[in-house]
Amino acid sequence: MTAIELRGVTKEFADVTAVRDLDLTVEDGEVYGFLGPNGAGKSTTIDVLLDLVRPTAGAVRVLGADVATDGVDIRRRTGVLPDGFSVYDRLSGRKHVEFAVESKAADDDPDALLDRVGLAGAADRAAGEYSKGMRQRLALAMALVGDPDLLILDEPSSGLDPAGAKEMREIVRAEADRGATVFFSSHILEQVDAVCDRVGILRDGELVAEDSVEGLREAVGGEETLEVAAAGADDDAVAAVRALAGVSGVSRDGDELVVNCASDAKTDVIAALEDAGVAVDDFHTREASLEDLFLAYTEGDAAERDADAADSDSASTEPDPAHDEPDAADDAGPPHDDSDATEGVDR
Amino acid sequence: MSLTAVARKDFQETVRSRGMLVLVALFSLLVSAFAFAVRPTGGSEQFATELLLSVFIGPFLVTTLVPLVGVVVGYDAVSGERESGSLKLLLSLPHSRADVVLGKVAGRGAALALAVFAGFLLPALVLIVAPVVFNAGAFLGYTVFAAALGVAFVAIAVGCSAASAIQRRALIGAVAIYVLFVLLWGAITGRLVGAAGPVVDALPLSAAQLRVFLRVSNPTTAVEVLSTAFLGEQLFSGNSANQQLSAAAMLVFWTLAPPLAGLLKFDADDL
Repeated sequence: MTAIELRGVTKEFADVTAVRDLDLTVEDGEVYGFLGPNGAGKSTTIDVLLDLVRPTAGAVRVLGADVATDGVDIRRRTGVLPDGFSVYDRLSGRKHVEFAVESKAADDDPDALLDRVGLAGAADRAAGEYSKGMRQRLALAMALVGDPDLLILDEPSSGLDPAGAKEMREIVRAEADRGATVFFSSHILEQVDAVCDRVGILRDGELVAEDSVEGLREAVGGEETLEVAAAGADDDAVAAVRALAGVSGVSRDGDELVVNCASDAKTDVIAALEDAGVAVDDFHTREASLEDLFLAYTEGDAAERDADAADSDSASTEPDPAHDEPDAADDAGPPHDDSDATEGVDR
Repeated sequence: MSLTAVARKDFQETVRSRGMLVLVALFSLLVSAFAFAVRPTGGSEQFATELLLSVFIGPFLVTTLVPLVGVVVGYDAVSGERESGSLKLLLSLPHSRADVVLGKVAGRGAALALAVFAGFLLPALVLIVAPVVFNAGAFLGYTVFAAALGVAFVAIAVGCSAASAIQRRALIGAVAIYVLFVLLWGAITGRLVGAAGPVVDALPLSAAQLRVFLRVSNPTTAVEVLSTAFLGEQLFSGNSANQQLSAAAMLVFWTLAPPLAGLLKFDADDL
């Protein structure tokens, strides 16, 4: 069965088109990461799934039913952690969960759920006194009521510290193991990387990439980024490197050359530099991370500037030929946060 | 049932609302003070509960303060949740938008009714102590009418709230409701009837009948008509029986129609 099915969904607001002709399918039991920068249309898409916002065009089916007519039945089998929500300040945490249990006609023990999300000690406090992270946990507890078939989590880790985000991932994993379908949005890649079977990347209301995490990794896997500390490199040396087979891009960053190249071209690059009389002080490589890919997809303008540097390799790294998105591997434009992007950190 | 869940949630929230508690305490103190101030001095025992309620407390306190509490309790019901974002939490659960609006009328109306009963407790004590003939039945019955008045205003305010995308608009609407029904109804409708003289002549009813209809169309005066008849032991009987029926019908209308009209708008909105 299909848990979520969007066909040709468009949502136009008075001054902006938030979602454009979106097709999206999430199969039963899948953990689907819905990625994109802020303002890409993720929340609008989720609002459409919940019938909070009615699409201008297109069909939306959730758990096999039409959201426009069967919204209440769908939500009886769905747990939702919304984004930008607020709690009922005067009601305690336990009252919130009791309300969800009563609303869903479930038989969960509110205290057990609060314990599961780490709020057992705060159950009797008014939720208005909760911190942002505690409110997030409370909404998660409400979403878990009734063992839903589908969990829709909008930016679930917002407001959580790293330990809280890890607990959130563990709960997502446990729910998926139970058999639930999980659909969650994020603008932070590492959360998706850790738990998702499949990810979709949304930009300006359009799905620009959709694949398994492995698939996306492979899409950039043929390329590595080589960072060479070579203070003496002149334009000739750079040109010599650029001319090498397997090198798709070279940029100079102070005393450092950043070379995008195929894995087996690394020694050629070093050799070419030394042939040009440049002393190579140090070099290291990093695997193009999903962060690079994400930035390439979501900061299209910056990437397109570098697109003319693309060579024949670009065909193999194009994950979806239907769109004219930039070549991920050539993205040297946006500011990389190396501490995040360095291999190993984001896994 | 979903509507009950929303109603219970809103009831629990409303009885914890400081604004309502303050207003009800103020109401209770004012009614008590009024009862104490106008109590008969000397040996006269003629001054009865009914007279106190229908002549003093009713027109000056109940028909002004109870609608105010009702409007305060109702005006942010939907728009407040919409603006803060708790509506997202609410509509993530299996509630239809109709459950939300009607559940809120029920929950907040019940909370207000409870508050009115609580608010009349202290005055009851004053009346028992004071040298008036305390008629518990009349007093309790009057409280029911006061509560019905409050519930009608909660319903009108919730309907207005459901139709308002932003909280400020709901607040303006609530103020307008209060000013119209409590302060200006007589003046406005009188002027309208006067201005529409020729049109009225064409209708198959007299200007006097129209004035009576407009008078009972206001939930405040409708409750006055009903409670006065009740205290005079003429409820739905006597000369004004027809007028009382109209008044009761209008109260029911004001309790149901505004939430449904608000729901119509709320149901069509993107949230």
